[in-house]
Amino acid sequence: MENIVFGIGITALAGALATVAGAAENTESDIGSQGDPNSQVQLAPQMGYLHRIFNKAVAGEPPAYGLWIALGAGIAWAFMAMQINAILAIVLGCALATFIQGVYATTAYLGRTASLAKFGQPVFVDILKSMTTVTMAHAFVAIFTTVTMCHLINAALGHPFPLPLLGLVWGIALGAAGSATGNPFYGKERQYQTQNFGAGVPISASGNIVRYAEAGQRNSLDNGWFTAKLAGPASGVCFGLIVFLELWRTVIFEPVGAGWGAIIVGIILILIFMVIDRYIEVWARKTYGPYTKPEEVSS
Amino acid sequence: MTVKVEVIEGGIPHNKIMAAGLIISLVCIYLTWLNVLTGTPWFAFFGGLGAVAAIAWGSHTIKTLCSYGIGTGVPSAGMIALGSGVVAMLLATRYGVATPIVAVVVAAIIGAILGYLSNNVLAMHIPVMIKSLTELAIVGALTLLGFTAMMTGNFTFSALATGQVMFLGFALPSYVSSYLGGALIATVFMLAAIAIQHPFNACLGPNWKQDRMLMLSYEVGFLSMLAAAIMSLALISIGAALLSIIVALIGWWYTYNQYLVLSKRDAAAWLDAKPFPEEAEGP
Amino acid sequence: MSAVGAKPGGSAGIDPVASVVAIVLMIVMLAIMYMIGTPMAFMALIGIVIGGVLIGFGVMFVPVGGAPAAMGQAPGIATGVAMLAAGAGLAGLFGGAWAAQTTSNLLVIVITGAVGGGLMMAITCLFVNFIYVYGMGIPAASGKVKKDPITGDTQTEYKSQGTEGHGLPFVSYVGGVIGGLFGGAGGTLIYIMLLDVYEESLPAMMQAQSGQLLPIPAAQIMPIAVTLAGMFAIGLFLVNAVLAAYNITGTIEGPHDPKFKRWPRAVIASATASALVGLVAIMIVAL
Repeated sequence: MENIVFGIGITALAGALATVAGAAENTESDIGSQGDPNSQVQLAPQMGYLHRIFNKAVAGEPPAYGLWIALGAGIAWAFMAMQINAILAIVLGCALATFIQGVYATTAYLGRTASLAKFGQPVFVDILKSMTTVTMAHAFVAIFTTVTMCHLINAALGHPFPLPLLGLVWGIALGAAGSATGNPFYGKERQYQTQNFGAGVPISASGNIVRYAEAGQRNSLDNGWFTAKLAGPASGVCFGLIVFLELWRTVIFEPVGAGWGAIIVGIILILIFMVIDRYIEVWARKTYGPYTKPEEVSS
Repeated sequence: MTVKVEVIEGGIPHNKIMAAGLIISLVCIYLTWLNVLTGTPWFAFFGGLGAVAAIAWGSHTIKTLCSYGIGTGVPSAGMIALGSGVVAMLLATRYGVATPIVAVVVAAIIGAILGYLSNNVLAMHIPVMIKSLTELAIVGALTLLGFTAMMTGNFTFSALATGQVMFLGFALPSYVSSYLGGALIATVFMLAAIAIQHPFNACLGPNWKQDRMLMLSYEVGFLSMLAAAIMSLALISIGAALLSIIVALIGWWYTYNQYLVLSKRDAAAWLDAKPFPEEAEGP
Repeated sequence: MSAVGAKPGGSAGIDPVASVVAIVLMIVMLAIMYMIGTPMAFMALIGIVIGGVLIGFGVMFVPVGGAPAAMGQAPGIATGVAMLAAGAGLAGLFGGAWAAQTTSNLLVIVITGAVGGGLMMAITCLFVNFIYVYGMGIPAASGKVKKDPITGDTQTEYKSQGTEGHGLPFVSYVGGVIGGLFGGAGGTLIYIMLLDVYEESLPAMMQAQSGQLLPIPAAQIMPIAVTLAGMFAIGLFLVNAVLAAYNITGTIEGPHDPKFKRWPRAVIASATASALVGLVAIMIVAL
């Protein structure tokens, strides 16, 4: 019984850490402008819209975060193998991983912007200096919480994978969950704020991102504080739920029915989420209504 | 993808880069065998230099492949390079001193078959697909081999699988504190995967320049070497690891500064705390 | 100047010659394994091929919209195909590897991995719709069909002007969950097959490699076996996911998308690629 209580405590802590990690990951990738929405930041100068947005083209979020977390976990493991205190090892590992992330961000911005010289997009050194440090800060939060979560899973819950392998697995999962949830909000809602609310961006408007802020010209920090209000916490809850439910159903129900208990609980959870999603979809159709008359008018 | 990819114009031809990368990488990795011959760990850092050469070659291969518009992103090329390279590299570590050659051969076979599958079964029909995927698999295997040799001092399987653990002042052999037992290969896998695709991905655009991309590939190689050297503190002697760290730091610092110089040369403008020019607003 | 050379395969047809060559290659590799390896290694290779096929087939189900989805211009998830599938499959592998520690029932382990992957996709797809509906005020609509095949909802009038659709219609959601289920199952199957082979043969191989006199106890080798099996499972997962991404050429709405008809090519390519990489992985201990 005590074992299960201890397991539930660690599970809850891991879920909380994962929530923070998801929120920080999304904010970091929105301030850096990484992943699919970044294609618009790249496209805008080619359509004649120069801007002061950071163009961080370091792969997509899943592989990039796979690297940062695996790196943080790997260096932490190495320090732990040298008998350094576990918490200090994790902090040092994550600090070094964050440094490497920062270097990658700067080289990506310089490379992409220099290759857009034909369209007159300048390299803004002040953007390079101010945005990089902010993304590094958010990245440190994401990396540290995820590596700690992996360490708990390995050391306290007894998962067979060593720490760097767990870091790789959860890093890619973190990037996938955060990117899936946060990208549309940043891409459509903030980058294309001037388009109609409640509708997608028409293809004819591609490249015409918002480049002016409340006062002066917009930079990535303006994008960051906006997305941190909804997309950040949503990504956090998404990844937190993923981690928490995965750990919870295993810790409590694995002993039940020789493993079948966890499977049945998992299937029930999938069905519950499916029902919730269907409810959201139907609610949207009823509440928002169609854009045009259904099918009688040729669209 | 809404990004336009351009064809290579001028510069060093790809085959020259491929030959140079292959030879330098193999030579450097073989130089780590001096560790075995002399019984010391001081030659480990050559493995890192071999990996840097392989990364430079691999980035140019990705550039050649993606010039043809493969329809998906650039990072997937890095992933498939490493996914196919890791098996080849680990199989090769069984063969003692012949490891690098066996790794190249096995990786070439895997890459060629994967290239055939992509080009013909999946109907991608890109002229350089098979050659590029073969090269990428070899690059993946050599990069992994280089970093592994640097981190463990050797490239044989027993070096990867045995480490040390301190017990009451004695160093006991341990499997769980080894390169494989601690799964450090996962970190090196991702380091290499991102490093190989980053130079082309970051320098993508109409004003792509070969020397700038190659300088970035050296920079990213030395940065990865720095990370791997820090992790090697747990596996080889402190002195050899520090030597690797110092070599990596010097290499990284130099290439990073050169990259800044080249970016300044190529950029449209290098502004500090200025607004973007208003009159360039388009349609 | 724009990209030169042949355009990537938008063709939906199967090249019969190439497919036959691929299948022959796969049979050759299975035969090699049969001749030089133990019966257990042969069964393991068959398991790895099945796992690879599950991954390659499963990735075809996942709705991926890419860059246009990030702007609400196309339905699907706004991430790359290979890495989104990898994220779900690896979450499943995590669960499956944990189950492998407590039980040795293969069915339980693989289904646990499947459920892990499916659960991750279920939660992620739910939050994608959550953001679209409550954060951006955009209902889900498909651009490829007039009616949702599962729920019968009409789609065309819910598509905003100038776009190809947005969000995740229910059939795409179900496709995503199925993709996660198959991906998690495939990755876990590959992992457990390799783990069994390594547990059996690694002690003898390492003893020969290091020249030790005393046999190495199997329990001590476990960390190495787990790492090798996990690393190869991830590597094989990425290879299969990237091949499937090449097959899809970028974006797909889910099982109802016409591009889904390309699935035979994905299955053949994944089978051969998995046989090849699996053969090399097993040869590490079997040679």
